[in-house]
Amino acid sequence: MNNKTVEHLNVGESGTISTIKAPKAIKRRLMDMGFTKGISVNVVKRAPMGDPIEVSLRGYNLCIRKEQAQDLLLKEN
Amino acid sequence: MATICLVGNPNCGKSTLFNKVTNTIAHVGNWAGVTVEEKAGDWDGNKTLDLPGIYSLSPYSPEETLSRRFILDSEPDLIIDVIDATNLERSLYLTTQLVELGRPMILALNMQDLLRKEGIKIDQKQLSKMFNIPVVNISASKGTGIEELKIAVDKILSDKVIPSCPIFAPPLEKVITELIEDDFMHHAPQAYPRRWCAIKLLEKDELFLTRMPQIPEKLQAHLAQETKNLEKIFDDDIDAIVIDQRYHIAEDITRICEVKASPVKKFTIDTIVTNKFLAIPIFVLVMGLVFYLSISLVGGLTTPLIEQSIASSSSFLHIFLDSFGVLPFLSDMLIDGIISGVGAVLTFLPQLFVLFALLSILEDCGYMSRIAFIMDRAMRALGLSGKSIIPLVIGTGCSVPAIMSTRTIEHPKMRKLTILVTPFIPCGAKLPIFSLIIASFFPTAWYLAPMMYFIGIIAITVTGIISQLTDRHKESNAFILELPRYQVPTWRNTWLQTWDRTRGFVVKAGTTILLASIIIWFFSNFNVRLQSVSDPTESMLALLGRFIAPIFRPLGFGSWQASVALLTGIAAKESIVSTLSVALQGASVTTLFTKASGFAFIMFILLSSPCIAALSAMASEYKDRKVFWGALAYQMTLAYVSTFIVYRILLGVL
Repeated sequence: MNNKTVEHLNVGESGTISTIKAPKAIKRRLMDMGFTKGISVNVVKRAPMGDPIEVSLRGYNLCIRKEQAQDLLLKEN
Repeated sequence: MATICLVGNPNCGKSTLFNKVTNTIAHVGNWAGVTVEEKAGDWDGNKTLDLPGIYSLSPYSPEETLSRRFILDSEPDLIIDVIDATNLERSLYLTTQLVELGRPMILALNMQDLLRKEGIKIDQKQLSKMFNIPVVNISASKGTGIEELKIAVDKILSDKVIPSCPIFAPPLEKVITELIEDDFMHHAPQAYPRRWCAIKLLEKDELFLTRMPQIPEKLQAHLAQETKNLEKIFDDDIDAIVIDQRYHIAEDITRICEVKASPVKKFTIDTIVTNKFLAIPIFVLVMGLVFYLSISLVGGLTTPLIEQSIASSSSFLHIFLDSFGVLPFLSDMLIDGIISGVGAVLTFLPQLFVLFALLSILEDCGYMSRIAFIMDRAMRALGLSGKSIIPLVIGTGCSVPAIMSTRTIEHPKMRKLTILVTPFIPCGAKLPIFSLIIASFFPTAWYLAPMMYFIGIIAITVTGIISQLTDRHKESNAFILELPRYQVPTWRNTWLQTWDRTRGFVVKAGTTILLASIIIWFFSNFNVRLQSVSDPTESMLALLGRFIAPIFRPLGFGSWQASVALLTGIAAKESIVSTLSVALQGASVTTLFTKASGFAFIMFILLSSPCIAALSAMASEYKDRKVFWGALAYQMTLAYVSTFIVYRILLGVL
């Protein structure tokens, strides 16, 4: 079982979403923003205090907190 | 008359389009959540509604709930789905939901100007075929394509073509078809299309289920069984399955209709602006620059000029009116009441104009979301979120729009706290009294004006820490915010917004403050027997002021003039200076305060209750009387206690 999440990605790295392990409402919100299975997410930057994290997906940028990044599980390469 | 709804993602340009086609001014900005309330305007005889931006029809925050309710229940004759064409795939996700509502629709592909720049081509005809709806290319900011859009609107309002819905994967589609046929669907509101209801039933959408009677046991069991099956087939929960299917459709359509040049990694402003080390210094610098440019530079240049011209025109008017034998009563009222009262406020017009313009540019360019991004971690320590910083920045202009902008904060507890602390940031209307006191008592202390903001920040910090200490049910919250592309603010938007806000200030000077000045002048020149008094201390105003004054004596400003000024400050903070200047009848403020009590006076104004407009905004956002009065009591207590302490310390030091 691979436990790598978006939080583990270094700045500049990309990963492919496999599952989202978040409470129902947050999961829905994340999916509405485009985090669905098989989509590629790139970590653009971390905020000055290390959190939140700026990511890009589907051609646009958004920021999420570390906690949400930990909810986004990645596929093995 | 037809009703048209403008719907789309945040930041797609709905409000810009709305401002272009109607005669109404909607607030525009480049961050998610600028429009928090629906705004109605007239577009060639059609009622047009600008709705808050949404990513999906599953609502999270109050303003999204509002949009959804409007789209569903106002039964619009036409939905214009405004799409940021540079962000086609995500925009189409919302489109897949809108087409299910069974209303005539138009897709407005906005930001055509940027599209060319980014080397993207969209096959308009193909896209139109996919959903069976007209597609129009527009650029709301440049004003192109608006005529074509109007032609399409007129055509579809007469044709009333209903869009076709995209088809999901067979197992899911089969369940939906069965549900559509179910007898239970007869209970659904007439305006809701069956297919949409079936999907919502499957998703157990709470807002939808409240509109429906109890689900019969048999159907309940059937739903549970089908849901279980689907979840097994797709290996995910039912909500996720539907979202996944919608995004698949959006991806497919994008693949067919869009040709994109491979993205080049470009240097963006963010490399510097959200840089690990530079981000926070830059934020402080930007805010400092905003205040320096407006208050120090423009204010410093214009204030003495305007004061001089008011003084010389007053004395000229005096001679002029006397020579015509105008009753001294009237000329005194005009000059000492109206001109000195309203004039004291108008002096600040140029610097507020610049402040409003700069804030509008900040909102428009896309920097606001970056501030939220870099400040989120720090704000979280106070029980707030990155999104709380936006109301605080807007609050430097006016607390009313600031309090309303808290609606983008999804979490109720955070929203309440943000509303509570927003008035601690001194708004533009509090600047006149600050400058008056600072200029009179501390003319060389340049650091005092910035310090007022700093005191506000300390009050927010203290409040945040108290709330964190007393909060027994701490929960982790999500923070999900789009970082839109930077854009150059358009002259039109900046001008419209600055003008709209400045006009509000001028209108207030001409109405509330004018009236207040006359009343104050009257009460300070007459006693209870309506006899004119030469000594203002015998006036009715003094009587009233003396009645309240004991409350403020411990804080150092127990004079009747100061008390009355605070009282009129409830109506509008600008009128504090007007009241003082009318009540003092030409005497200097230095006769009223000492250094210590003068500072205590402005500190109390800074932290105590905001004006009536902001109070009513607070009340309507809280929606709960008890919470509102609690918040007000907290603000007053904090103001009183901290001013008392600071005054006592200053007495010893100064």
